[in-house]
Amino acid sequence: MNLMIDLRVDLGKNLVLSNPVLTASGTFGYGDELVEILDINRFGGIVTKSLSLEPRIGNPSPRIVETVSGMINSIGLANIGLEAFLEQKKPFLRELNCKVIVNIAAKTEEEFGTVIQKLDNEDWIAGYEINVSCPNVKEGGIAFGTDSQVLDRLTQTLRKTTKRFLIIKLSPNVTDIAAMAKIVQDNGADAVSLINTVYGAAIDIYTRKPKINTIIGGLSGPAIKPIAVANIIKVQNSVDIPIIGIGGISSGEDVVEFILAGASAVQLGTINFMNPYAVNDILEFLRVYMKQQKLMSISDLIGRFEK
Amino acid sequence: MKCLTSGIVVDNHAIAENIYKAVITAPVIANQCLPGQFVNIYFPESIKIFPRPFSIAGIDNNAILLVYKVIGSQTTVMSGWKPGDSVKILGPLGNSFNYSGQKNEPILLAGGVGAAPLMFLRDRLYQEGIKPTFFLGARTKSQLPFLSDLKSELILTTDDGSTGSKGLITDKLLEYLQKNDNPVSVFACGPDPMMKTLKSMPFPENLSVYVSLEKTMACGLGLCQGCIVKNSSDNDHKHYSLVCKDGPIFNLDDVEFDD
Repeated sequence: MNLMIDLRVDLGKNLVLSNPVLTASGTFGYGDELVEILDINRFGGIVTKSLSLEPRIGNPSPRIVETVSGMINSIGLANIGLEAFLEQKKPFLRELNCKVIVNIAAKTEEEFGTVIQKLDNEDWIAGYEINVSCPNVKEGGIAFGTDSQVLDRLTQTLRKTTKRFLIIKLSPNVTDIAAMAKIVQDNGADAVSLINTVYGAAIDIYTRKPKINTIIGGLSGPAIKPIAVANIIKVQNSVDIPIIGIGGISSGEDVVEFILAGASAVQLGTINFMNPYAVNDILEFLRVYMKQQKLMSISDLIGRFEK
Repeated sequence: MKCLTSGIVVDNHAIAENIYKAVITAPVIANQCLPGQFVNIYFPESIKIFPRPFSIAGIDNNAILLVYKVIGSQTTVMSGWKPGDSVKILGPLGNSFNYSGQKNEPILLAGGVGAAPLMFLRDRLYQEGIKPTFFLGARTKSQLPFLSDLKSELILTTDDGSTGSKGLITDKLLEYLQKNDNPVSVFACGPDPMMKTLKSMPFPENLSVYVSLEKTMACGLGLCQGCIVKNSSDNDHKHYSLVCKDGPIFNLDDVEFDD
């Protein structure tokens, strides 16, 4: 019976995922940390930890704090840098059957371009996700994603740099996310992913100190799920390119909700910490749900909530 | 090989004030874990989203032992575990104490419930015919869980002098080392202030100190990169290690603590 259920999603431009479930950047390392306990190819694809040209050590401690139904992080894009990535992670990543999308973070437009140029010959990479929405770094990060003129120029430049599938990851920390998505679409990006983390802070009432090194960090987890759903609805009203939904997904029910709201695919983030087997539970639910709802293809659900 | 499994609680009872010992059947983990390694315990229905890491305090056939202090809502849930309850566990995680083949005299140094991983290490040293000296410090007598359990030579302190000597266990260690010329390896686990005290102590040259560190962790697997400690092994201080993946056991010389 399972053969009849089609979980594939076509994001366009020859990017077809075996199912709509991806990993969210920064919550899954480079995929190799989990091989002992999980079949990585269960995912439709993985999005790697943000990659920059040079290695970044990230922010000092404390970097994470647990909050009600969520967490605040301020990792600061710690990563091994492009050279080590290709040397150490490529052998594992290129053997995966699922799609590999490389998330890129940079301090300047030039750095984004350089990283993409150096990756563009790697045939195992299915696309790029551009991080213009990290709230935890002083340079770059969210600054790219909250100024419409900067976002406009950056997307235009990156579109000229690569023919590959190009995703721009948007921040919810803006007045009008739909306008940002429109700018991205108008400059030729292939998809938008949203939402990155929401500004969050927590204070220890006894020491009176912030619980995160940068004082304000990024809130993620089930706490932000309704914010993500609202933002996806706003964006799907303004663009035609696929939306990849992110934000507090922890179950198969959540995935269906995101797809109904307008997402063509989704990313699992903080749930990877709460339940490393989440992808298995989610795919099982999707099959049961589709059978129960007499659906042939999961794509038929995209944006199909009743207004 | 790490494994996410359903463990079955065999026994769970208080062994001191607010300190519990749980025996959980989890063969895949019990049959391969090493002293110093830890497990994640998951609380699927909780609004607190992180699993909680616990050092493995020993193994008993196909079961792992956990010794934990009740300090928050998750450990309160744990204190209510009954035999037959199913517990979601991931492990074994992290590195382990490097004790095999050591020619140095081993010393185990514990602060309070930090004794947990050292009890496992002590068991393994016993199996190799080595009887380590166990230094154990606690706040007060009622919070000393391990007296009946400790076969090794025990040196004891409490903050209030209610049993053992009054004072800090790290001072006792220093006294011991000053009278002892043999090369010594110290394996230590305790609260942050104890680790910082250890770091600042004037140890002799021929001494190695290995510490088991604790940090807030979201994943326990190296995914989130939240549980960092400064690593000074490359002399430039511009390097962080992950307590969950690179640790939790570190050579004390290699790590720097925040103020």
